[in-house]
Amino acid sequence: MDPVTRRNFIKTVIAAGATASSVGYLFRGPGALLGQTPSAPGAVERLITLNVNGQMRRVDVMKQETLAMTLRYKLGLTGTKLGCDRAECGACTVLIDDVPHYSCSVLTHTVRSRAVVTIEGLESPTGELHPVQRGVLDEQGFQCAFCMPGFIMSAVGFLKVNPNPTRQELAHGISGNLCRCQDYDKILTALMKGVEYTRGASNA
Amino acid sequence: MPDAKLVGTNYLPPDHIAKVTGRAKYAEDFRADGMLFTKLLLSPMPHARVLYIDKEGALALPGVKAILTADDLPDLNGAEKALTNEPLYVGEPILAIAAVDEASAAAAIEAIHVDLAPLPFVVDPLDSLRPGGPNARRGGNVWAAPQPPAPGAQGPPPPPATDLVKWTEADFADDEGDGTRLPMGRALEEWSFGDLEAGFTDADLVLDETFIVQSTGHHPMETRSAMAYWQNGKLYLHASTQSVAATVAGVARWVGITPADVVLICEFTGGGFGSKGAGAVSSAIPALLSKKANAPVMMRISREEESYIGRARTNMSGRARVGFTKDGKITALDLFLVQDSGAYGPMGDHRSCGNAASLIYQPGAMRWRAINVLTNTPPRSQQRSPGPMQADGIMEPIVTKAAKQLGLDQVAIRRINAPEGKAIYGPAGPNGMRPHVTSAFVKEALDRGVEVFGWEARKARSGQRRGPKVRGIGVAVGPHGAGSVGFDSIMTIRPDGKLYVQSGVGNLGTHSVFDLARPAADVLAMPWEKVEVIWGNTGKHLPNTCLSVGSQTTHAMTRANHAGAMDAKRKLQEIAALDLGGSPDDYELGNERVYRRGNPGRGLSYAQAAKRAIELGGRFDGHSVPEDVHQITKTSAAALVGLGLMGVAKDTFPRDGNTFSFVVGFAEVEVDVETGKVTLVDYLSVGDVGKVVNPRSLMAQLNGGSCLGIAHALCQKWVIDPQYGVTLARRFHYNKPLTILDIPNHLQATALDLPDPETPVGARGVGEPPVGAGYGAVLNAIADAIGVDAFRRAPVTADIVLMSLEHGRRMHEPLRTHL
Amino acid sequence: MAVIRDVMPAFELFQPSSIDAALALLDRHGASAWVLAGGLDSFDWLKDRIKRPSAVVDLSGIAELKGVRQAGDGLEIGAMTTLTEVVRNPIVQQRYSILMTAAEAAASPQIRNQGTIGGNVSQDTRCWYYRAGWSCYRAGGNICYADTPTAINREHAILNADRCVAVNPSDTSPALIALEAEMVIRSSSSERVVPAEEYFVGPGVDITRMTVLRTGELLTAVRLPAAWAGAHFYFEKVADRNVWDFPLVNVAAATVMSGDTIARMRIAVNGVAATPLRLPAVENAVRGKKRDEATATAAGELAIVGTVPLQHNGYKVPMLRNLVRRAVRGTENSWTS
Repeated sequence: MDPVTRRNFIKTVIAAGATASSVGYLFRGPGALLGQTPSAPGAVERLITLNVNGQMRRVDVMKQETLAMTLRYKLGLTGTKLGCDRAECGACTVLIDDVPHYSCSVLTHTVRSRAVVTIEGLESPTGELHPVQRGVLDEQGFQCAFCMPGFIMSAVGFLKVNPNPTRQELAHGISGNLCRCQDYDKILTALMKGVEYTRGASNA
Repeated sequence: MPDAKLVGTNYLPPDHIAKVTGRAKYAEDFRADGMLFTKLLLSPMPHARVLYIDKEGALALPGVKAILTADDLPDLNGAEKALTNEPLYVGEPILAIAAVDEASAAAAIEAIHVDLAPLPFVVDPLDSLRPGGPNARRGGNVWAAPQPPAPGAQGPPPPPATDLVKWTEADFADDEGDGTRLPMGRALEEWSFGDLEAGFTDADLVLDETFIVQSTGHHPMETRSAMAYWQNGKLYLHASTQSVAATVAGVARWVGITPADVVLICEFTGGGFGSKGAGAVSSAIPALLSKKANAPVMMRISREEESYIGRARTNMSGRARVGFTKDGKITALDLFLVQDSGAYGPMGDHRSCGNAASLIYQPGAMRWRAINVLTNTPPRSQQRSPGPMQADGIMEPIVTKAAKQLGLDQVAIRRINAPEGKAIYGPAGPNGMRPHVTSAFVKEALDRGVEVFGWEARKARSGQRRGPKVRGIGVAVGPHGAGSVGFDSIMTIRPDGKLYVQSGVGNLGTHSVFDLARPAADVLAMPWEKVEVIWGNTGKHLPNTCLSVGSQTTHAMTRANHAGAMDAKRKLQEIAALDLGGSPDDYELGNERVYRRGNPGRGLSYAQAAKRAIELGGRFDGHSVPEDVHQITKTSAAALVGLGLMGVAKDTFPRDGNTFSFVVGFAEVEVDVETGKVTLVDYLSVGDVGKVVNPRSLMAQLNGGSCLGIAHALCQKWVIDPQYGVTLARRFHYNKPLTILDIPNHLQATALDLPDPETPVGARGVGEPPVGAGYGAVLNAIADAIGVDAFRRAPVTADIVLMSLEHGRRMHEPLRTHL
Repeated sequence: MAVIRDVMPAFELFQPSSIDAALALLDRHGASAWVLAGGLDSFDWLKDRIKRPSAVVDLSGIAELKGVRQAGDGLEIGAMTTLTEVVRNPIVQQRYSILMTAAEAAASPQIRNQGTIGGNVSQDTRCWYYRAGWSCYRAGGNICYADTPTAINREHAILNADRCVAVNPSDTSPALIALEAEMVIRSSSSERVVPAEEYFVGPGVDITRMTVLRTGELLTAVRLPAAWAGAHFYFEKVADRNVWDFPLVNVAAATVMSGDTIARMRIAVNGVAATPLRLPAVENAVRGKKRDEATATAAGELAIVGTVPLQHNGYKVPMLRNLVRRAVRGTENSWTS
């Protein structure tokens, strides 16, 4: 069969009510080049100090860099996963000043002087697991576990606001996280065990 | 069967600490000195030919190290390559650029000019079958039926061939005139058994219905990112794959090297669901770019890219004519399938769909016809229950409708048709015999579910309305093949007294990668603390292992490791007999010792026996291995020689029948008739999945698999614009995977725990059968609530429900796909 | 030029600490500036490399844009107040609970922790043709890809379409309209206050914008008057998923009763047009009526006058009708057929 020509394709598209630019959008005109313009007056400086897992980390951060990328590619904290990079799946969830955020959708420059905690920061300095981690361990929550760090961070953050949730409340609290193994039932069981352990730890 | 101390009990998988602490490394978590990043240029057109690629502008940019095009890839005899010069779908990768960082790589992609000559394209399979309809490929529009090998043929089978099939206008002229029934033109594949016409003649009720099973992206949480580098002529590939040992051959082929030069590292896989069965063809990109640029290359696949190259379920439009007796027995089933294989394939879901339908409904006579159409849509692969799940979608609404018309209970009509024992299914094979399953306990599962779910009590309120909410209940049987045979195991008992089990299984969260060591430890009476599972890296010498697909792993690899452990046990006994006298049969195992029966003091510790095995050499420590094990196993065993007492064997246990598992799903829904919103109120799955190996994981598989089916019934979909051939549902909020709030916060699951008689461990697979059960049960529950004719496509979203209720009949487009 | 996604292009980042400083930056950079609130809509545009501002003005460091405060007998909510803060505010919970309900219906916990009330009302449409970067009317082109005989437009508009058939996806906007909220808009030279229902613009007015905000302007606060505080509220959202989804249709109503008749009602819906729609015809029709099934049914019918469904969104007509009916009825549970 003869290949149709580009001209014919475009004609078809136009006849169907579209324009050539429907193809053109995919081959758009030149845009801004890469790289980093030197900081303009009043703009932020690249070299910043971040408080991550209780440590002050000096790091060179691009203006457009997201926290997830800084954590993963500059600070070696690969426990924070990128599942969608679009604030839809929760795999990248970290705590910023104790509040769960999608780190894929936070500019690193906006967390200067704020406390960032990742999955790697949950263990105690002596290496004891966080009660929520223990709950997950004991109930073997999660399957492939790619979503696990994000879920755990969501749960830890949620418990700071509601330390005594029902199973349903916890489900709402962690509902910003997707699990494609769809192990939701066991995740809830495991995190509820973590709630129990957290209560025990704070009562102790 | 040995004392099952470990099989059947929960345990903490050895990788779990790494997971909860975030230390588990998935493919994109690896770094290497001088690592480059690659970005892909994707086709903007659904079908085109690359005329010219202007790379000059890109190469001139700072930081750009190498460009890879399809010309750099080995020819795969027409099969899908990682890059193409003739894109067959929007989003197909055309080239890749490696640069010092992603920003540079992205800018370089934007600096590329690709001249594309558009070619005709088609999105909907029926459009391609219409007279004069476009063809997805220049060579044709459908996959030809696979040819049986010629008598005495040697070598690999010929590559699949395309064919050109157009139906006639008459084929498309609907006999009912309302365009709701699938046209049935020429099918390229067909089988039948029994007397179909007699079956319909004997029937008291004959129904003829069409159902559209949607496609969905697999979308594992981890995309198919990969990182590659070369060392001493070997490719080191950090990839995301469901299988480890069984991925090497594919990688070697895609990259164009020998399997011996591939080291695949994948200790953790962030899900696959069939999309990463034997890895991903795209992993050739970082591999070959790394070679070209002489530096490690990271390929981070975005979620949008995963929407294109990440595989999708094979959507299927099915029409079934089914004859029922008054008591619900299916006398005849005439099933016609139009399968959409996407741009590549050929997919075989249509065949497993036909087999599944014949198995779970046990019709007295059946004809299966299918046509396997190519479209310019993203590539399909098997998705968790490929085929059987579609069978549930196509068949269940009909069975439910029949039950209503015949005044039968939904469970009763499934029970009267349920497979039992060594149930026969599918068409006759070359020997003229129809195959049968190893065992089926579906009736027991239905009975268990009726009791646990409280079916009768729920039935009393089904159809009842409180305010705008109406309740409905549904049940469905999900079947799936659940085990293969003939794979190998390698294990060593070493002078430290521990048992080291080489596991070639992928670690995708099912825990079968570790579960397989449990029956081995049981045979050897080895405490679990003394068992080390070696996994996730083909540099660590893994045996020939099944693909971790098709719910086969637990069955296949518990058998293989049972065999390997029996071999190790025999060697322990032989060494004891050699050193301490008597015959090997005089010795038994216990307390990490092999000892004279009745005289535990007279024996060797495992550590001592391991040392003796090394001294003895030969077959005791792996210097020689059984002839019948695979070459992969021989190579791996050779690398482990002298480390200890080696158990190495191929699974040659007899098996009468093909292994299938069954899950029965029970669902209750609430439908808001004012908004059309469906809420799943309660769900139970009952597994007829053989002996339970790992109870907690089993329940998780039942629930997780059910959720995938539930998602297909309620919300998950994908959408392609037919005019432009562009995937529209690129984002999760467009394609709608199930969230934690879309299911009840407790799911119920239970298993019969009846061992399969045809495997020494008794275990069958579980991953897939819950999917069709979930899909069918929820669809049936919705039909129960709002009427059996309210919908004939899935997902059954608010718009479909509301329009049906509003107009008193189905209003959705009856036959269009990818909506 | 080939397309590449998911790598944010470079921009200059400014983090002013006052409204005045932010406005000065917006003046300086004009049309090449991008205002960043919570960022959850912005990052999509930036990561898709469709929008390429040279200067991004991040408002997160401006304290005066944050928080909920008493203003006269009403309430003023800073535009940069997160949805979670709105949801947890005791005064919102007590007097304006419909805003709490609506804000809590938006997206997911993490998004509510970061997304702001200002961002939620100012967000762009999610039409999947437009968001894919196609050069449609809204993107400055001369076609609507969603309004063709073959287009897949299940989520699109049934009312007030004008070339573009996209819808406004906000959950809080109809609640704010029902509360008779006002939007405080500042530029370097002036401040203006517009009623919430006038904050949004449809394609007939300006096809490339969702709101009245002009270049150089910032939404600084949302004011809730006392007029509807403590009224009977009804909010409902229908979406495909129970979390992280945009509304197919949502409805918000505030009702003040006088005995057993409706003294006054404000009602707004979203997901049906390019702007959230206040339904004055319904408000007028129910005034002085009993809050019963007959009133509700009549209101539902009024709500759908003039609807023009597309190929795949006809369901929105009964969905809109039934949601308005429920809102007027005040409950989803008293309905009988």
